[in-house]
Amino acid sequence: MLIARGLNKNFQSYKKAPGFKGAVRSFFHREYTIKSAVNNFDLDIGKGEIVALLGPNGAGKTTLMKMFTGIIVPTSGALTINGFQPWNRQKEFRKKIALVMGQKSQLWWDIPAMDSFLLLQRYYEISDNQFKNRIEEMSELLQVKELLHIHVKKLSLGERMKLELMASLLHSPDIIFLDEPTIGLDLVAQDSIREFIKDYHRNHNVTILLTSHYMADVHALCKRLVLIIDGKKSFDGALDKFEKILGHEKSVSFSFAEAQERDNELWRDYGPVWSSENTNLALRIPEEKIRSVSISILQNFPVTDFATEKLPIERVMKTLIERPEILQNA
Amino acid sequence: MLKLNALKWWQTYKIAWSKQTTYRLNFVLQIIGPTLIFFFIKYNLWSAIFKSNQEIIINGYNFKQMISYHVWALIVSLIAQGHSAINLAEEIRMGKISTYLIYPFNFWEFHTASFLAFQSLQFFVSAVTISLFYSFGILQDLSLNYLIMGYCFSLFVSIFWFSLQYLTGILGFWLEETWVLRIILMIASAFLSGAILPLEFFPPWFVNILNWTPFPYLSFYPIKIFTGQSIDLIAAYLNIGLWTTLIIVANHLIWKKGIKLYTAAGM
Repeated sequence: MLIARGLNKNFQSYKKAPGFKGAVRSFFHREYTIKSAVNNFDLDIGKGEIVALLGPNGAGKTTLMKMFTGIIVPTSGALTINGFQPWNRQKEFRKKIALVMGQKSQLWWDIPAMDSFLLLQRYYEISDNQFKNRIEEMSELLQVKELLHIHVKKLSLGERMKLELMASLLHSPDIIFLDEPTIGLDLVAQDSIREFIKDYHRNHNVTILLTSHYMADVHALCKRLVLIIDGKKSFDGALDKFEKILGHEKSVSFSFAEAQERDNELWRDYGPVWSSENTNLALRIPEEKIRSVSISILQNFPVTDFATEKLPIERVMKTLIERPEILQNA
Repeated sequence: MLKLNALKWWQTYKIAWSKQTTYRLNFVLQIIGPTLIFFFIKYNLWSAIFKSNQEIIINGYNFKQMISYHVWALIVSLIAQGHSAINLAEEIRMGKISTYLIYPFNFWEFHTASFLAFQSLQFFVSAVTISLFYSFGILQDLSLNYLIMGYCFSLFVSIFWFSLQYLTGILGFWLEETWVLRIILMIASAFLSGAILPLEFFPPWFVNILNWTPFPYLSFYPIKIFTGQSIDLIAAYLNIGLWTTLIIVANHLIWKKGIKLYTAAGM
């Protein structure tokens, strides 16, 4: 479905010193810098997979998305999607892909979404029957029936995002690129977008490549994750394998009714981290010991609350962004 | 296949039309704005120049003829010198064209269909303007024949103007700002096309040179056609046709090179 080999993308920009003096100097003598946004990137994605493409800001995720969709041309390397080279932008290729950008609207701002949908119906040569059925089905699932005839600029971000998703799926693409589809949305809207994508994938077996800074998106949707740091691929594998990069430990936290002694043999070996009042404790416990250690603490101390980590991926991501060298040693 | 393509163009045309008419006040101003500006600036200016004697003839024009010339210049500019592609460079610079690169309808097709929608709107605006001026008693010598001939040629010129605007727009792949270039082009074409002063005010040797450029065909010659004065129509069509072809070829080459530099910034 998607095969990338040795993909590179460099951007050229010029340096300018601040202020008027800098402006005058840069007018006569311009210094250019070349930044490598994507460096020797390989990737294979099979049909029907949902893959998360993660990394810190400026890592190269969006640049990759732009290359995959044919918006920008790679500096070098090979890339084929469904047998097409994206940057040739053949119409047949464009009919098979969809791109949803959380930060950029693809719907026309000054007209109702339905007008944009009708335009897309023509562009993607969708028959009237299919168009009607898809609009019916998706607007029902996303609960946006009443919004179809309202000017896009009058909609909330969450409402607009649902309609953006509809617009990009009208032509039943084979591969969908989702670039931060839940950015800026409230928790309920995030959840409904995730559920919709999950259902859509289950029913249509499409290939999805997703970027997001919300690990809840990744956790809910993806089984495989690709990590990119400084334009280079740092990890490519299953989500559960990624979660265990820092070891087979889980973070468990306890809240006590009253302050406790910091030093106790029950938690001494599990990297205890205390709150300043000594009433909250966080431990890193090996998976096989979680049950026994937790039971001991619960039985012997006045525990008022107890929680295990819901998204270990979040902790792993944060640690790897701060200390990417861990991956080289792993 | 042809039918499917025609439907794409038609739908884009309809969308562009509805975008143009979304804001009612804006639309109304678009209709009456040029006429109001004409009265405030050009009418007052030429009234002042001919103040002493309205029958005096300056380079072949008395006051009435001069006002009539400038009314036709206004109408020709409404038909032939649209601005539907004016924001192209900014769209490129801000990464706003990415969406059009993904849809299976080419960027130039989208803009050309939008241009056609804009033109049909301008056709309506220009017709209203002609009626307004006719009712003011300024355009008394209207002839259906010359109107049709004038509209045909002005619409042909509008294709040239659109291609030129498109060209300055796609230079945005290289230039971060193209507005200076566009302003220079606008001022030069306003002056050299005869929109500010009829070409009779220019030395004949200069007009001879100008006749090889597209400029006089943007205003001066269309005005002559509308007012029923005889010009070499074939040469006029040939000139603009040739320049349009050259610019379309240049646009194709510039796009092919420029798109490789596109960074889709801000996405």
